[in-house]
Amino acid sequence: MTAPQGLSLTDAERRRVERTAVLAGAGAASVGELVGMLSDASWPVRRAVVGTLAALGDPAVAPLVAWLQNVRASEHAIAAAVDALSAATGDAATPAVIVLLGDPRPAVAADAASILGRRRATDAAAALGDAVAHGDDNVALAAIEALGAIGSTRAVDALIAVLAQHNFFRTFPALQVLARTGDPRVVEPVAALLADETYRFEAARALGRTGFAQAIRPLASLLPGASDAVVRLVALALSDLLARAGWTGATEHVTTTLRAALGAALTQLVGALRRADPAERAAIALLLGRIGDASVLPALASLLDDPDVREAATDAIQRIGRSHDDALIATLASGDAATRLAILPSVHTGRAAAAVRPLLADEDPEVRARACEALARIGDTSAVPALFDALADPSPRVAHAATGAIHSLGVADTAARTLGALRTGSPGVRRHALRIVAYLGFDGALADVRAAAADPDLRLAELAVAAIAVLADDGVEAALEAFAHDPRDGVRAAAMRAAGLRGGPAAQTMLALGVLDPAAWVRYYACQGLGRLGDAATLGLLTACLADPAPFVRVGALEALGHLDSPGAWDVLAAAAASADADERRAALTSMSLRPRAAALPFLLAAAAAADPATRLIALQGLAQRIEPSALATLAAAAADAAPEIRDAALSLLGERTDAPAAVALVELAIAAPAEHPAQRVLSLPGEARAHAIAARLASADEAAAERLVGALGRMRDEAATAALYDALALTRPEARRAAARVLGALGDDRARAALGHLASDDPDLEVRRIAAAASSR
Amino acid sequence: MDARLSPSLFALFATLVEETCGLHYGERDRELFGTKLVAHAEERGYDALIDFYYRLRYDDPAGAERELLVEALLIHETYFFRELAPLRYLADPFLADVVRVKGRARVWSAACSSGEEPFTLAMLLADRGLLDSVEIVATDLSEETITRAREGRHSPRALRDGHPIDLARKYLEPAPRGVRVAPAIRAAVRFATQNLVGGAGGGDLGAFDVILCRNVLIYFRDEQISRVIDRLAAHLAPGGLLCVGVSESLLRFGTKLVCEERGSSFFYGRGGRP
Repeated sequence: MTAPQGLSLTDAERRRVERTAVLAGAGAASVGELVGMLSDASWPVRRAVVGTLAALGDPAVAPLVAWLQNVRASEHAIAAAVDALSAATGDAATPAVIVLLGDPRPAVAADAASILGRRRATDAAAALGDAVAHGDDNVALAAIEALGAIGSTRAVDALIAVLAQHNFFRTFPALQVLARTGDPRVVEPVAALLADETYRFEAARALGRTGFAQAIRPLASLLPGASDAVVRLVALALSDLLARAGWTGATEHVTTTLRAALGAALTQLVGALRRADPAERAAIALLLGRIGDASVLPALASLLDDPDVREAATDAIQRIGRSHDDALIATLASGDAATRLAILPSVHTGRAAAAVRPLLADEDPEVRARACEALARIGDTSAVPALFDALADPSPRVAHAATGAIHSLGVADTAARTLGALRTGSPGVRRHALRIVAYLGFDGALADVRAAAADPDLRLAELAVAAIAVLADDGVEAALEAFAHDPRDGVRAAAMRAAGLRGGPAAQTMLALGVLDPAAWVRYYACQGLGRLGDAATLGLLTACLADPAPFVRVGALEALGHLDSPGAWDVLAAAAASADADERRAALTSMSLRPRAAALPFLLAAAAAADPATRLIALQGLAQRIEPSALATLAAAAADAAPEIRDAALSLLGERTDAPAAVALVELAIAAPAEHPAQRVLSLPGEARAHAIAARLASADEAAAERLVGALGRMRDEAATAALYDALALTRPEARRAAARVLGALGDDRARAALGHLASDDPDLEVRRIAAAASSR
Repeated sequence: MDARLSPSLFALFATLVEETCGLHYGERDRELFGTKLVAHAEERGYDALIDFYYRLRYDDPAGAERELLVEALLIHETYFFRELAPLRYLADPFLADVVRVKGRARVWSAACSSGEEPFTLAMLLADRGLLDSVEIVATDLSEETITRAREGRHSPRALRDGHPIDLARKYLEPAPRGVRVAPAIRAAVRFATQNLVGGAGGGDLGAFDVILCRNVLIYFRDEQISRVIDRLAAHLAPGGLLCVGVSESLLRFGTKLVCEERGSSFFYGRGGRP
């Protein structure tokens, strides 16, 4: 045993710490001496003793319990003994400490409760439930906090009974623990405390944390005639409630209930914004977005300049806009640029077209760009002439948005307008016109596009060559052949890119010559094109490019080799995976996954442990396509990575898989991860395999796991998930039935209430019956 | 081109951008980064992001393409009279005292974006008759933004609710599509391009009595913040003050600068007298 890291020790302390290491080696025989050392005056020495005793496990338990009962030499020694029992390995500690909880001396019983909480001893929930009614406040408080730490719902009734006592010291912690149980029985007794000023604030917060729709009316009842401070308190609680409802899939039910309960409180909520802090403003904005109407849009718009609240305000404005078309249209005309920016993404009906079209001339380029996007979304074909005008906008963002909108709207005269713009527009407009040609590919456009390719503006010429590739015209091959010999490097490079996209024997010949071109980018695109054509006969040409002086040509050749079904190509890729150049390594890894190659697995597994994130991510993308257990295990491990970019990418890749093993891996990941981990969100993405995997795992899930899994089913809201949720009510394990009853109670629909009604009378488990009874009440 | 950026491409581009200008883009920024990157790459003539990446990595010897990319990614959101209380304190009494003691004072507005911050300070100084005695240097990474700042033309969004109407009336003139800064205020600010991260940082700008670097550090990683602070501190005259944004604290970076509360605002100083 060594001293805690980072601490400097005196020689005497070092000797005593070294002694604990010796005693650790002696095993059970040394327990007596170690327990005696709990009273050492030095904290580093006591830390070492605690660590040694905890590691010794079962043999140390009885002496430590006896010491806590009989010796209790000093406060710091007691703390050390509590630490040692809290961390003790083995099976003996929890049962022994449960017995200790019954000690008649309050100080000993409180220590026992604290130890059980720190051990997260779910087996102790019943005993701790009894202890919350202990005559001594310290014992009761320690028991309540322990239940909170354990997270068990098995002592809900005992904790509810604490509320009825109105004991100042016990009520607050009990409220905090009850709020986290997710149990519908909590709502009524907590709501009763709203009448008591002493507990109102904490009771409101606790009601919010339940996430239950049943908690809304009691909270809303505080609003009539309330001060701004109370309105803000209620808003915070209700926004918390909304957020938590999302975790059981009950958002819809909660939103409906909120609208019914708060319809008359809109003015109060808006008024409370004046003195609200950022968290309160965000909460009010969230609520207004769910229940508000046109009347609250100005208040929400005034929040758009506030960086702390902008996101919530924007979301609220867009939500209101989606269901209040008229208000949205009126505000588009009257609001400032920030409001228009917030509203435009939610424009979704043709009725708004007349209000959106003038915004193509707005002073703010982002507004103009979003107006283009909105017109495309609502299918306003009458805006096409104006969108063509917008191609000349000085902001590239606007011109791009206009191009995208023209792509989407595609009216009868688009070809004529595009070719007109190509012939007579400014260089910028002509470039965008070529992008439209490249996207839509008009018949009879070859002559105009070919003329543009001869333009002295190189970017225009390059775009023209790219556009030629998509035209259905017999003259395209000859044109590309001509451009492949253009004196301008950029045009030849564009010709190679176009040939690769077009394909065919003529293209292959052109590309084969392209890899010998003096210009590096021509060689790069020639390699890329040869890769696209995938002819194994080009292996030699591509392999020769690996010696190219331009690094990007070498990388391009590697990427191209990945497309070839050839042992020679594989050998090159395998060698490049060990290149000293990071981009070459990454290109090799990417290429390995372009075709199904069993031999790629070890390379991908090794790269998944690389130091740089980009390489790891490429490896994970490759592994996600593979069925081998080691590939899945690596992906799952990455999904628990501390680096958010790795974790989120791995989770996203896992979530995209539809096979059963990936779903099982995701289930285990979500069970092991904290409640706020993004794995919980990915697990709840709709998918049959995930619903089945959850249903299968529920049959053996403990209380905490059942909560997670059933919550995911609630959020999934598809047919398979709903079926699994109801099936869970018939599972053997009461943990699964309790969790399912809570979630169905939160969903609040008629079918759920009927099922819960049966459960409330027929289930063999008393807890299930109680939860179902509370959850099925309106 | 698909605007959804794969995680690996995001990692490659984000690293490149951070190497260029120090700005750190995390996973939360991926979507917006992707939208801007794709639009910019298309504008530059690329229909595949990986081609554009190779261009930036291997065929951009002077860094011009990288600078254009950074320009396209930057957010230039600022406005007149933003976080006004510290500027009021700096104008008077702080700079007033410096002028009294030394005859002249120097201010550097680092990462000034389109100039609203140095112009605001100039207005406050002009209001106290100090403008002729204070040299204001304002720098930003973006050439395009500095060009706009020099023109002194600003959109209506540069003036937000709650601004001091008297100062705005005195020093801002209504203009088509926004406001224009009064000529005397424009003339008082010297603009230049400057990369706080790459190259020489503060370069040969000299020592300043006040350095403003507000709402910039939030875009950097911790290591980068420490380096930037060291560079700024090297340009701080004895007794000078560094002012960062109200939501930015340097205390966790173990800087040698001392945090001081003055006039209800927090500043960082090297100690000593002006």
